[in-house]
Formats: sequence, C-alpha cells, structure tokens
Amino acid sequence: MLTKRQNLLETIRGGKPDRYVNQYEAFAMIVPNPYMVNSPGPVCGQGPVKNAWGVTNIWPEGTPGSFPIHDEEHIVCKDITHWRDYVHAPRLDYSDAEWEPFIKEAEKIDRNEYFATQFIAPGIFEQCHHLQEIQNCLINFYEEPECTKELIEYLTEWELQYAEKICKYIKPDAIFHHDDWGSQTSTFISPDMFEEFIFPAYKKIYGYYKEHGVELIVHHADCYAATLVPYMIEAGVDIWQGVMTSNKIDELIAKYGGKITFMGGIDSASVDRPDWTPELVEREVRKSCTAYGTKYYIPNTTQGLGISTFPGVYEQVSEAIEKISKELFK
Amino acid sequence: MTIVQRIKEAIEVGRPKETEKLIKQALSENVKPSVMLEEAMIPAMRSAGEYYRNNDGDIPRILAAARSMRKGLDILEPYIETEGGKPLATIVLGTVKGDLHDMGKNLVAIMFRSAGFKVIDLGVDVSEKEFLKAVRKNPDVSLVCISSLLTTAMPEMRHVVKTFRESKDLAHIKIMVGGGSVDQEFADDIGADAYTETAVDAAEKAKTFFV
Repeated sequence: MLTKRQNLLETIRGGKPDRYVNQYEAFAMIVPNPYMVNSPGPVCGQGPVKNAWGVTNIWPEGTPGSFPIHDEEHIVCKDITHWRDYVHAPRLDYSDAEWEPFIKEAEKIDRNEYFATQFIAPGIFEQCHHLQEIQNCLINFYEEPECTKELIEYLTEWELQYAEKICKYIKPDAIFHHDDWGSQTSTFISPDMFEEFIFPAYKKIYGYYKEHGVELIVHHADCYAATLVPYMIEAGVDIWQGVMTSNKIDELIAKYGGKITFMGGIDSASVDRPDWTPELVEREVRKSCTAYGTKYYIPNTTQGLGISTFPGVYEQVSEAIEKISKELFK
Repeated sequence: MTIVQRIKEAIEVGRPKETEKLIKQALSENVKPSVMLEEAMIPAMRSAGEYYRNNDGDIPRILAAARSMRKGLDILEPYIETEGGKPLATIVLGTVKGDLHDMGKNLVAIMFRSAGFKVIDLGVDVSEKEFLKAVRKNPDVSLVCISSLLTTAMPEMRHVVKTFRESKDLAHIKIMVGGGSVDQEFADDIGADAYTETAVDAAEKAKTFFV
C-alpha cells in the first residue's frame, strides 16, 4: 500500500494510485509561525480582530469563515492613489529563536507519509480587496491600473520575503496558498486583466517556492476559475484545490490532466448544510467520483481547510470517499 | 456626438467622473433630466448589463458602469421628482442576517434604480425584524428583495419569507430572492414570488409585477 504522499504523487502524475487521495489526508498543515502568531485572526462567534496589515476581520457564528469589516472607519486603504500612506507591510524580521518552536513542530512531521505543508492566506488578490473593500478594489483595477499594479508589486515583494523565511526555517514540501479569484459562476476579473495584474505576481511567488525546495504548489480558490487554468499551470500550480462543479471539471481534466490536478468537485454548499444526512453526502461524493474518475482528481469539499461549517460533514465526506474508493479502485 | 450620447458612452464604458461632469454640463445647457435618463442612462445600463452577461469575469467594468450610473442618478434624482416622475414601485432590499456580502446586492440596487424603481437599501446582515420594520415604515413598498451568498444564511432567508407570508398586513408584498446560495428550487420551496440568477434579470423580472 502506498503512503499517503506516494499515493498523491501517483494521482497527480497519472501513475498508479491504489486509492483516492482522501481530501486533505496527505497534507500535514502548518499554520502558525512567528508572523501568523503576530497577525491574529478572529475566533468564530467572538468579536472583530485587527491583523498585522490593519485589516479588521470578524467571524460571525454559523458562517464558513472570517470576513473583513469594510465600513468607512475600517477600510485600510481609503484612496488607491495614496496607497503608500495607508498600506504598511508587517515586519518579518523575526529571530532564529522566535522561529525555533515552529521548526521543531515541522520536524515532527513524517515526510514519508505526508507533505509538510505551509498554509498561506490571504493571497495577493484577496489582500488587495481586504485592504480596499472589494468593489473599490475591482473598480480600481479598471480606473487606477497603475496604482493597483504598484500595490500588487508591493504585496508581492513582501510575499517573496515571507517565502524566503518559510523556506529557510520550515522547509516545507508543499505550500497551500489561498487566493479566491471569482464568484461561483465567473472570475472577478477577466483573463486578460488577470494576466496583466495577478499572474506576474504568482509567477514570481510560486517560482520562488519551486526554486527553493518546495515540491508541490496547491492553490486554493473555491470559485469559478476555469478560464484561469492555463495561468495556474504556467505559474507552477500542481493542484487546484476548491474547484467547484461550475468549472465543468470533467472537461478540465480531459484538457489539462497531467499538467495540473483538480481537488474539490464536491461543492461545500451541496453537503455542508444544516439538513445534511449521510445519504446526501454519499450521493454527492458518488456523483463527483463517478464523473471525474481516478486520475488528476482528488475528491474533496471545496472548503479551504479540512473542516466543515456543520459538525460531522467533513468526516462523513471522508467516509463516503473511502467507501467509493474501494469500489472504483479494484 | 451630442452630450446625451456622450453621457451614454461614459456610463457604458464606466467613467464615473466624466459622467458626473457631463450630466452637470447637460443640466446647465437645459437638457431635460428625463431625456438624459431615458435616452442615455437607462439604455447605457442595459447595454452594460448585456456586456456583463456576455463577458464573464469583467466585473470591474460593470461595477464602474454601475458607479457611473449611481453618480448620475444622485445628481438627477431631485430634478426628476420635480418633473412629476413617479417610481415604478418602491422596493426594500438587503442581504439577510448572517451574511455580510454586499456586491451582488449593490448591483441589484443599481439595476432597480436604473429601471425606475425607488430603492430602500437596508445593507447587509439584515434581520427579519429589520425587513418587517422597513416595510411597515414605508407603506408604498410593494417588493422585498432578499440576497444571500452563504448557504449558512439560507435558513434565515426562509424564515424572513415565512414571516412575511404569515403577516396579514403584508400579504400584498412581493418577495424576490437571489444570490450565490439560492436557486429556483429553493426559491419555490420557501415561497418566494421570484428568483433570478443575475442582477440584470432581477430588475426585468420585477417589472413584470408592476407593468
């Protein structure tokens, strides 16, 4: 029997996996590090928290994740043409001693079984709209392209410095990088605009990780982004996690399988709901596994971590995948 | 190109500052606000809506067009009222409690205003009580639009619709629902009068209730 790590590699390389990669099972996720500890996020059901970029987030009870507060008082970058006055990147000059406990945790991971995976969020596009508010941000791509590019370059340079620290201290096998680029039915910006503004940033960031020992780039975007897959491939993404059914995953696998793997295909909205039942979960998982096959596809809810909003859903999905895996990998 | 045509073009391509400038100029040249609205602004928004429908993923442009439209309407609204123009209907709009997403809702608001509706926007995270209060406070309201992106807010949407249906004094109110978590099946299930997939379609659908 292959290890979880070997099985994943067989799956994404079109080899001989002996079962489905079951959701996030092959990733040992590393979330905290000195920067993350000093950039707090909100706790579900508790009050708003300001992070190291000055963005105030809140996680209302019963919702899938945190959300930036964007009333007039809380918007960080109130005018993109003066972004330098508003946006101040947090420090990354933590000492070796400050990294030490996190290095020790990373060293405990069995790297034969798992990919030691550094979690990184938000991404470049997300950071742009966290700082500005989404509508202001999107309009500024259109109305103030030069300032928007300057801000993206600034964020990219900071991310490259962050990448340097992560590679130096944690030495991850994989990175799991969030950046949602669309709604459920369309991308937020057109492919041409993506190529001009966002793609260069990811070519640099993911390129850096690949050049510094990271074997696997997993990009999370639980949205429609089918039109951006060629850019993902060129930027070095190995796995697109969060791929929703609206992307016509079967067609993507036929077209791009071998160059990129699709992880998701079970829309969280279809199973992670208050009235979920084991039967509903199995039906949805079976539908996805049957439609998308066993190569270049990892069944998973579209959620950006191994959790669910409603207790028990994630575990039930894993159980259903295991059952269906035994049927399909005979 | 006439100034009315220039206003139309400024909105279509999404130039808010230019739209403002041109509308002010047109007013100073005594161009009737109703002419600007009917010959420039409404057709421009319709064409921006069509562009959006046919060009997935160019949200910045539709937002810029919507912002141009809003700036224009803000300038023209007092003049239109003095011309004796009446709104097609008054609507109350909001993202349901438990959900803070507002982009889709804001687009819907612009589309309704462009189509001649008066819009009372309650914002995001709106409770059932706030929807009811707003409707009772504004007796001319005849349509309530409820938006939700998160599936976790769907039970609240169901609850709001149920409360409206059970309130005898609000039986005449039409209810439309929309947003990423909603589909026709869910809308039918909770007893909404209508559902549309896009903001452009929402205003068109609403018109059928009143004309």
